[in-house]
Amino acid sequence: MNKPILIVGGGPAGLAAAHALARVGQNSVLVEKQDRLGGAPILSGYAKLVPSGEWARDAIGGMVDRVRNDPLVDVQTGAQVESFAGQPGAFSARLSNGTSVDAAAAILCTGFTHFDSVNKPEWGFGTFPDVVTTTQVEQMISSGKGVRCPSDGRKPKRVAILLCVGSRDRQIGREWCSKICCTVSANMAMEIREELPDCHVYIYYMDIRTYGLYETKYYWRSQEEFKVKYIKARIAEVTSNGEQLVVKGEDTLVKRPITIPFDMVVHAIGMDPNVDNKSIASTFGIDLERHGYVARGNAYGNTAEASRAGVFVAGAACGPETIDDSIAQGHAAALAALGLLQPARARA
Amino acid sequence: MPIHEQSLIRPENLTTHDQLVVDGVDVSGHWSTFIQTRVVSDYNEAMQDEIAALPGGENVHRCWQCGSCTNSCTVNAINPEFNPRHWIYLVRIGMESEILRDKDIIWQCVSCNKCTYACPRDVVPEGVMKALSHWLELKGHVKPSPSMVFDEVFSEQVFQHGKIEEGRVMQRFFKRTGQSLNQPWLIEMIKRMLRHLPVGMLTKLGLATLVAPRTSGWSGARAAIEEYVHEQEHKRRRALGLDALIEAAKRDAGPATAGEGARS
Repeated sequence: MNKPILIVGGGPAGLAAAHALARVGQNSVLVEKQDRLGGAPILSGYAKLVPSGEWARDAIGGMVDRVRNDPLVDVQTGAQVESFAGQPGAFSARLSNGTSVDAAAAILCTGFTHFDSVNKPEWGFGTFPDVVTTTQVEQMISSGKGVRCPSDGRKPKRVAILLCVGSRDRQIGREWCSKICCTVSANMAMEIREELPDCHVYIYYMDIRTYGLYETKYYWRSQEEFKVKYIKARIAEVTSNGEQLVVKGEDTLVKRPITIPFDMVVHAIGMDPNVDNKSIASTFGIDLERHGYVARGNAYGNTAEASRAGVFVAGAACGPETIDDSIAQGHAAALAALGLLQPARARA
Repeated sequence: MPIHEQSLIRPENLTTHDQLVVDGVDVSGHWSTFIQTRVVSDYNEAMQDEIAALPGGENVHRCWQCGSCTNSCTVNAINPEFNPRHWIYLVRIGMESEILRDKDIIWQCVSCNKCTYACPRDVVPEGVMKALSHWLELKGHVKPSPSMVFDEVFSEQVFQHGKIEEGRVMQRFFKRTGQSLNQPWLIEMIKRMLRHLPVGMLTKLGLATLVAPRTSGWSGARAAIEEYVHEQEHKRRRALGLDALIEAAKRDAGPATAGEGARS
């Protein structure tokens, strides 16, 4: 049998890479730090995914089962790569659970870390229980309990979703756009309106980036069918009047300050580089780009390759990414790794 | 020192006391000038639905504030204060007090429909302007304009009799708008009509004034029209919560709170 390919990270990109390799008869070792596979959509309990509308546990859960049941994929959960050395075609890695792996190549699918809203204290997360994150609302929906104010379990009558929390914010060293929060928030606003038709949902934005085909399905539909209201304002502060949360800011289209009461405030949190990226970079001997994500070696010549030959990268490890694109990149990385292994056969 | 953003200070938000002494210091006149807060402290969440319930306003929720309507607007070219984009936003978000500031210029829309063709989202801004004007009137924020009173008098007669009688339309219009019939131009007009109109026509006019003409067999049509008008009116009143408003006003005016306006 061939030397396996080492895949690090069991989220959508890693699952896609492992499955793609198995489809062409290539074995792999899939290493996942957590005790189960699935990555952010499963570990963080996402509800319905954008743009398919399928439940995360069905869609990503299906990918997990497929890999779990595949004899060509050796799944190592609860393990991390501790050392990695060698050449393309002949790497050797040691895992934290004591396993040694002789791998032909490595694919890093190490993903991202959700922004921690505590780093924007002026927006009330951690101070007021009814200030929550998109991840928490996803969990309220996926658990079937519905969207409720954490303080007393009441159904909110008015919800504010603040966009760009931990994104596009030089103040806290996060200049990037996390790409998907606008779309996720528009989708979440519709889900809230669907569950609680008497609840008004306001989205406070700087720009709306429901790019490509998301425009119709999320930005337009949320307004035309669900009457979600979009207000151009970067919120200054979230406080409380003792009964309700109070959102302060400036409505920039009217040029007037606003202090509006809300029952619930949702932070549309962005994607940070994986908190482990520095140790991942030093273990694998690769570079990070200036924001702290894994740097790609070459944009066009050999897509998916990191700065070290034989080490490939896919998904949100190299920047904020959607689930669909992470899956596509997982496939691309698998193909790039195979091309490295079997150049002779390709030319024969 | 220059005042930053001076354009944002509105005359109605400036207060000055002619006579004011604070802690023994005379601060009368401009020494006591204060700028009242501009903060918007709540949204009227019913506003968008109310406008959407009136003919023309159905698509107001689609607007994404590109400004095509204002850029193509005939009136805006003459009066920069006339800004449909802005009002549509205020309706959507429910900033009622902000809209009421412009209640006297919203009517300037000439219905040229350039905005309708420019709008990329089919908001039909011209329809929204119509609905908004209508809303202002229904809510009692503006007095009915003379032309609106004329329309009322005219259609009332048509509904009643199937046709109008000019003399009566004029009479009622003058009465409802509080204008005297004893006006030099009107007297002069009648004098000249008597002098120059053919006798046959004068006789017909005179007869019509005495005996209000009716369309024969009108009662069926009249009942149908009245039913429809009533239905539409009822729909609008319900959409705008007018009956509740009237009830509330009656309660406020009750013996307990009589006199001072209890509303803050």
